[in-house]
Amino acid sequence: MNQPLTESLAERVKAIPGGEMLMMCFSCGTCTSKCMIQEKLEPNYNPRRLIREAVFNFEESAFADETTWLCSACDLCYPACPQKIHISGVITAVKQLAVAQGKQSPYQTARVDEKSCVACGLCVSVCPYQAIALVEKKVPFRGLIPVAAVDPGKCMACGMCSAACRSTSIRLDQEFNDPDIVENLFSWLESEAN
Amino acid sequence: MVDAARQPLIEVKAFTEVEKVEGFVGNFKVTLREKAKYVRADRCNGCNACSLACPIEVPNYFEMNLSSRKAAYVPMSQSVPLVYNIDMDACIHCYKCVEACGSLQAIDFGMEDKIVEEDIGAIVVATGFGHFDPTPMTEYGYGRFPNVITAMEMERLNNSAGPTRGSLVRPSDNRRPNRLAIINCVGSRDKRYVSSCSNFCCMYAIKNAILLKQAMPDMDISIYYIDIRTPSKGYEEFYDRAREIGVKFIQGRPAEISEDPATHQLFIKSEDITLGRVIEHEYDMVMLNQAAVPQPDQNHMSAVLNVAQSPGGWFMEYHPKLRPMDSPTDGIFFAGACQGPKDIPASVAQGSAAAARASRVLHSDTWQIEPTVAVVWEDRCVSAKGQACGICYRACPYGAINYDKGKAAEVVTAKCHGCGACVGECPHDSITQLHFTDAQVLSQIRTLLAVEPEKKILAFRCQWCSYGGADLAGTSHFEYSSNERGLRVMCSARMDADLIYEAYRLGAGAVLYSGCHPQDCHYITGQVAGAKRAARLEKMFERMGMSPGRFRTEWISAAEGDKYARVINEMQASLDAIPEAELKAEIERLKPEMAKKLTKLNQIPGVGEALTQVDFIVNEMLGKAVNA
Repeated sequence: MNQPLTESLAERVKAIPGGEMLMMCFSCGTCTSKCMIQEKLEPNYNPRRLIREAVFNFEESAFADETTWLCSACDLCYPACPQKIHISGVITAVKQLAVAQGKQSPYQTARVDEKSCVACGLCVSVCPYQAIALVEKKVPFRGLIPVAAVDPGKCMACGMCSAACRSTSIRLDQEFNDPDIVENLFSWLESEAN
Repeated sequence: MVDAARQPLIEVKAFTEVEKVEGFVGNFKVTLREKAKYVRADRCNGCNACSLACPIEVPNYFEMNLSSRKAAYVPMSQSVPLVYNIDMDACIHCYKCVEACGSLQAIDFGMEDKIVEEDIGAIVVATGFGHFDPTPMTEYGYGRFPNVITAMEMERLNNSAGPTRGSLVRPSDNRRPNRLAIINCVGSRDKRYVSSCSNFCCMYAIKNAILLKQAMPDMDISIYYIDIRTPSKGYEEFYDRAREIGVKFIQGRPAEISEDPATHQLFIKSEDITLGRVIEHEYDMVMLNQAAVPQPDQNHMSAVLNVAQSPGGWFMEYHPKLRPMDSPTDGIFFAGACQGPKDIPASVAQGSAAAARASRVLHSDTWQIEPTVAVVWEDRCVSAKGQACGICYRACPYGAINYDKGKAAEVVTAKCHGCGACVGECPHDSITQLHFTDAQVLSQIRTLLAVEPEKKILAFRCQWCSYGGADLAGTSHFEYSSNERGLRVMCSARMDADLIYEAYRLGAGAVLYSGCHPQDCHYITGQVAGAKRAARLEKMFERMGMSPGRFRTEWISAAEGDKYARVINEMQASLDAIPEAELKAEIERLKPEMAKKLTKLNQIPGVGEALTQVDFIVNEMLGKAVNA
């Protein structure tokens, strides 16, 4: 609490493009009740609460908040906000600060299989969040070669890269990789057929 | 209203429009259009026979179109005066009403609009407010879902003289609703529609909730709100009472209303802020407490009366705290919500104040005005010499100047408010403003720039805003450069280009051109004229090769002391950034160019004399100061 005001979380969020309108929030809750992620995925997701946390400098809880990591920037809340706050901009700003402090998303992000990546750049061009870049990297058994690298701070785990990749070298883990999806699809088709 | 109609000294002119307002305080000429009612007021006794006979039914706008009325109608039973009216847009000319009226012979299809001109001493404007139409807010489904209604529709449904005789029913099936939600701030406090707070809706929601709860104690009523605002006397107690009798208050602005198409039940989804959880409740009926907005024809009225509008479209008062019932034009007063959304107690108070102000006009033989009025030097006015000019006439925000080619321009002193826009605009310097004559202002400039002018920042401030801003900077102890020299004129419109040239000719380091924000201007459009001139000057100085920062235009309100200090400090910084020798060279280089624009300055009556005296006094004082 003794840190200077200019270094508070709110001021740092405001300094990032997209986060300027942070202090205009009057906590009406429209964003939360408009949110699809809140409704379909994570009941504890709450952009209004995240903004409060940022305003009152609750840095730890803001960086650990589901809202910081799950926002897909679909901007359903933006046109509904009576204060015209670009909420996903504020959330992205908080996330940037969290990533800068070395925090990582507790949720999965896309992962590159460097053994087979041919650095064609398809994934880079399809990524809607500009989270993928081609970098020179020393890969075991392949030497210094260019490969795709995912910025976990930007990746929203949408899977576009995985769908676009021709060498199946970039994918999501757990139930969203190709074999799991195919398996799910078949089981669903079977249940429909019965 | 009935009392007013009975009072012999009050004439109620219903169904009459104001077409034109001319003249000035105490001497207005008002042109009125008395619209044809097709029923003679002197014969109609309000018996309703014509309405009963009329076969045409159209939606009744007074009942928010929830019921119908005839083409021969009065809007409501308590109409004053109780004279029927035939709606010619709906009438099919069957003349059944004429038959029904019989020997009274009150109906006259040959009637036409009558234009009358009245001599009026003072005008009180009490045109009220309009309602925000929530149709564009598709998330609330007004217009799509029959059971979503507006506050005004609720007002009629819950009124014992209304279309349902006071029994509240939901429009989809005419059943009584058991669960009712009221949503506050629909359109208001919403930057997408009306960014301001509509003042009275919180209390209106609570009033409706209490009324309904008293009539139907088993009804479940919830009020959705962002903040509840109950600032006046007794209001918080009223809010308490609503809680006591079981009205539920839910903090959280609903994001969406959805409907079951089969039953027309409504579901409101909102975050309950206190719970921090998204909740969805089911209701039979939802009332949208919509924003108060200016009347749809407020712009037209503003043009007719020549009174300005504040941001948001409401009529602009003379002073928001000290003279809220006065318009900027003398003799025109405001009562009620036409000046800004307000509730009944505030409207009544303002109405009484406006009446008192108006009677002050009616009971005086003479009228005091600001002494800073404009005066024309008739021998200098080019219009008198037959040239077409009229610049002052076009510059005046109050229409106080009469202009005819071949005659010198004439100022209607009673209408002049002393902004000085005409003085600033006149290219021939043939009009001046008392107490701010060219001689007086030029003398001040000369005095302020007498010593080391290249180090000075000459700040032109307008009386109402930037002067107040500088004052506030002082009283708040905001530090700003001591090289600032302030100079007051009434409005930025008075800041004649000549005055700026003269400042640079005398070697001023920097000049600040400051005034009100456009919406705050105390002279309707004075700031607009000032801003135009400032933009012109800025461009010209840039072409002349003046260093950036030496001329600056800023709009600073009386509440922005911090901004005033910041602007002056920034100007000082940009002045400091120019090396001294370069600055001096630039000033010397521009001096002849400025002088070229000022060749006629000494011909202005009084200027040469005043400046000689100023030089004498300044020299005397400086001499003494040096000796001491």
